[in-house]
Amino acid sequence: MFKKLRLTSKIENALMLTFTLIFLIFISISPDMNLESLKGVLIIGITVGIIYGLVAVGISLIYTGLDVVNFSHGEFFMLGAFTGLTVYNFLIDGEIIYKIFPEAYGWVGYVIGLFLAFVTMGLFGILIERIFLRPLTKKGGGYTVAGMGIIICGFGLSVILQNVAYVIWDPTAHPFHADLGLPITLGGVTLPMTYLWMLVTGFIVAGALYFFLNKTKMGLGVRAVAYSKVVSNLVGINVPLYISIIFGIACALAGIAGTLVGPTYQVVIYMGYIILLKAFAAAVVGGFGSLPGAIIGGFTVGLFETACAFFISGSHKDAYAFLLMIVVLLIKPTGFFGVQVKMKA
Amino acid sequence: MLKINNLVSGYGSVQILNGSSMEVKNQSIVALLGGNGTGKSTILKACSGIIRAWKGTISFDGEEIQNLAPHKIVEKGLVQVTQGKDVFPAMTVLENLRLGGFVLKSNINLKNNLEKVFNYFPRLNERKNQLAATLSGGELQMLCIGRGLMSNPKMIMLDEPSAALAPQIVMDIFKNINKIRKDGLTVLVVEQNVRMALLLADYGYVIKDGAINVEGDSKKLMYDESVKDSYLGGGGTTANV
Repeated sequence: MFKKLRLTSKIENALMLTFTLIFLIFISISPDMNLESLKGVLIIGITVGIIYGLVAVGISLIYTGLDVVNFSHGEFFMLGAFTGLTVYNFLIDGEIIYKIFPEAYGWVGYVIGLFLAFVTMGLFGILIERIFLRPLTKKGGGYTVAGMGIIICGFGLSVILQNVAYVIWDPTAHPFHADLGLPITLGGVTLPMTYLWMLVTGFIVAGALYFFLNKTKMGLGVRAVAYSKVVSNLVGINVPLYISIIFGIACALAGIAGTLVGPTYQVVIYMGYIILLKAFAAAVVGGFGSLPGAIIGGFTVGLFETACAFFISGSHKDAYAFLLMIVVLLIKPTGFFGVQVKMKA
Repeated sequence: MLKINNLVSGYGSVQILNGSSMEVKNQSIVALLGGNGTGKSTILKACSGIIRAWKGTISFDGEEIQNLAPHKIVEKGLVQVTQGKDVFPAMTVLENLRLGGFVLKSNINLKNNLEKVFNYFPRLNERKNQLAATLSGGELQMLCIGRGLMSNPKMIMLDEPSAALAPQIVMDIFKNINKIRKDGLTVLVVEQNVRMALLLADYGYVIKDGAINVEGDSKKLMYDESVKDSYLGGGGTTANV
């Protein structure tokens, strides 16, 4: 039986490799192919990828912690972007910050916006979890049997949060003019500062999350609760509290990702929908429920999408992520890192 | 130390325990015996707060604990040690042990307890940086007991420490349990392996259909025909001795 299993995974890997090769050949015969554009695609792909990764990590965290796929996760991304935008406009365009620091630059306001988006979305996520999700999961046996109700609740929440944003910020697209300085040239590629901020902040946040999960006591507790709630109870972890923490962290990650993306595109109440689906694709590609997998999946989806958009056709940009997801599901249903099957008690 | 009075409990709407009462005295080893599905593990789960007591009281150290959250019970010093399969396989041995000391406030305590656990089970020290998933069955059981000891408990409740282990390893683990008791802890051990458990324990309870059927000194229970009867439901052999 084991022999057979190993053989299948070998075939899976071979097929994945074949697919990658076909893809690489396909883009290398493109007339736009040259070293410059390849570098550009790599940098942009990784930048977009880390954003997908951050949102996907949140989805995976909630999935492992609450056994729930949070379909309202994109709205935390959207609300985070609005929080960042509002804070930035208040501080910089309202010139509040110059009263305190006359010498301040635009990035000071942006950093405060990022931080507040992170904190506000974290707290808001905890509030949502306590009010809406917890009573529902308790009916289903206390976070072990999530059931259909909670999935529908996720969709409902998504609609409600969009409408709340509609009331507060109205449905027009808001430009986010973050004054972060002139574009810089990185290895021959000219990159707007917003991309650089995405790239650097994304990696810092991902690194901080890794440190938190692996080196702190609370992170240890989070990992324990994600694996088994019963055993976590028995070692003395306050499981309900940790479930709130998990939800809060996941929403905070989506919030900061929203503020990071805001200046590159624009801030609009419908922006959460597509990022949810793409982050979902990233989580599936990397292996659902695996945190390193979510980040790797984010990079894969980001790179694949950017490469396809650049070398094949830019007008179908949003379709590529799902094409990749379907291919991975067909060839390697567990995703890259989805080998550890979660045992349910 | 632990006193259970007329405990009624179960899962969902299925009642398992029909008024069980038992007592575990300070610094003793008490064995709770019974066949499959008689409610041994249910008693442990009710004591550690995983399931609610429907009726009756559980008091630990003079305080009633049946309505406390599980982590509060661990803080009070009553720890349930699960079977070896209930470790965190994707974490290292050291991380598993640190999780056991999760309720400890200071790092110095953590270090002292770690040393204590490594004293009982030197094997764990050798493997402390290995993933728990790579341990053998006996080592997993050691890890579970060690994890239970990490929080400085007053009493530990062991859920079938001999399950699926070779007799040699069971002997080793039981010797360590005895050592743990000598160091001042109280032990309640739930077992299917009657002979081994009674050799270890001072006092024994036999549970049948969710209520205590026979109790007595372990030396006496060892030769009690009614134990055999209630344990194996009458006929049958003492196959798992």
